Amino acid sequence: MNPNPPAIVLQTLLLLFLAPLVSGYMKNWKAKLQNRRGAPPWQVYLDLAKFLRKDMVLSEHASWVFSFAPYVVFLTALTAGLMVPMLIAQAPLSLFGGVLAMVGLLALGRFFLALGGLDPGSAFGGMGSSREMTISAIAEPALMLAVFTVAITAGTTDLSRIAQSTQDAAWKLLNPARVLAFAALFIVLLAETGRIPVDNPATHLELTMIHEAMLLEYSGRYLALMEWGASIKQLVLMTLLVNVFIPVGLAGPHAPFLGLAMSLIAYLVKLTVLAAAMVVVETTNAKLRLFRVPDLLSTAFVLAALALLSTFLFYGS
Amino acid sequence: MNSPASAEIGSQIVTLMAALMLVVQLLMIGQRMLLTSIQLFAAQSVLLAAIAAVVAFYHDAGHVYVVAALTIAGKVLFLPWLLNRLVRRIQIHQEIEPLLNAPTSMIICGGLTLLGCGVARPFTSLERLGNNTLAVALTLVLTGFFLMINRRTALTQVLALLTVENGVMLAAVALTTYGMPLVVELGIFFDVLVAVMVLGILVYRIRENFASMDTSKLNQLRG
Repeated sequence: MNPNPPAIVLQTLLLLFLAPLVSGYMKNWKAKLQNRRGAPPWQVYLDLAKFLRKDMVLSEHASWVFSFAPYVVFLTALTAGLMVPMLIAQAPLSLFGGVLAMVGLLALGRFFLALGGLDPGSAFGGMGSSREMTISAIAEPALMLAVFTVAITAGTTDLSRIAQSTQDAAWKLLNPARVLAFAALFIVLLAETGRIPVDNPATHLELTMIHEAMLLEYSGRYLALMEWGASIKQLVLMTLLVNVFIPVGLAGPHAPFLGLAMSLIAYLVKLTVLAAAMVVVETTNAKLRLFRVPDLLSTAFVLAALALLSTFLFYGS
Repeated sequence: MNSPASAEIGSQIVTLMAALMLVVQLLMIGQRMLLTSIQLFAAQSVLLAAIAAVVAFYHDAGHVYVVAALTIAGKVLFLPWLLNRLVRRIQIHQEIEPLLNAPTSMIICGGLTLLGCGVARPFTSLERLGNNTLAVALTLVLTGFFLMINRRTALTQVLALLTVENGVMLAAVALTTYGMPLVVELGIFFDVLVAVMVLGILVYRIRENFASMDTSKLNQLRG
């Protein structure tokens, strides 16, 4: 685990500047599919720049937790992102526990996000936090089980080595356990990034919002960090999905410049396909009632559990 | 076509599509909208036809292509069309509250999948193509029965019957690929076709008499 400074810098820059673009493109495509013109994809950058310039309004009831939370949310998402292989199969950062540490970091971010929602004492913030925690209590086990499935087939929880383990034999990707885990993780992705069957990213209607409810009290720089952190988290989960489950085109550890460029193209193509799939799901489905969300997530959980069990049942000889 | 490597790949494809059939089945258990359930059933039948075609391709078994074509014609095009028309005519689009809620049913179906895998385990050596297609087939049958018991709408029960039939066909295609004579397969196929048409009329009658598709109301019919 010798840290590789150029790789760290490259991946940090990618995470920082690709994540808002992905969010922007998804918003734009969604608008197009709904016969609206939509804001240009780079609008998210302009929004962030504007938020960063604006003054903040802090509630007089808010404690230090309120100001601390945005930094934690932003930094945990970024650190978790450094542990996922993006262009090179060897991720720049690998802490003990591999994927466990990554899920733990994301959970830490969510914990502080919920605290930040609760802290100023507004009714909506508390409601959003409570909903977020309810949903994550079901989504997180499904995420863990799905990732364990690939970890067991690869024999390690280190994401870099999981991604490398399937590089030599591409047909291993057709393993049913992987397919089940992929389906489960896709549902979890929709839930974790606040997409439509679970949460609506474009609403401020009090009855339905989850993520937005927690951000209501935030403004200025803190809001920028929160939004940026959320889009980085979305990119990290999408990267996890495309690079760990479909590590096609991922460059090896000592790839030349050309290999990196090819890897970047492959990564962008996979990301585009996944984003398009999410946009289609978002446009063709209606938002579920909050009490129906556990139904969807329990489907994800059972799929992931079956995936994990089937690695033992079908191939454990 | 008969080299070991390509047979390996064929086996992978069959296993993959069988797993997808299972995914569709689980989605159907969590689904409450009737039209979506019908679409899911059609998707499952497409997968079944694809499995039949792959098996036929890798074993040079010509008559299995007929099974694939019949599945496409009957279960992907005709039956969904028929059921869609039925839903539009009786104007009921949503499932009545099932006996067990979705999370509980999902967990039960997970258990049924385990049961199916456990029962099919001693027979894995018999399968020529696909590592665990028999397990998936058994699971489809078991969860199909569960779906039939759990749901109260007549139309969903018909769909559940159809998924049970999909499971049986999957077992027939993947396990005994060239064993099942074409006549038997044709027989099963038309049996189901006619059964669904009759059941469709029955569903319509139930709706006419009770203004609902709840089959538990049939208890009220006393002589």
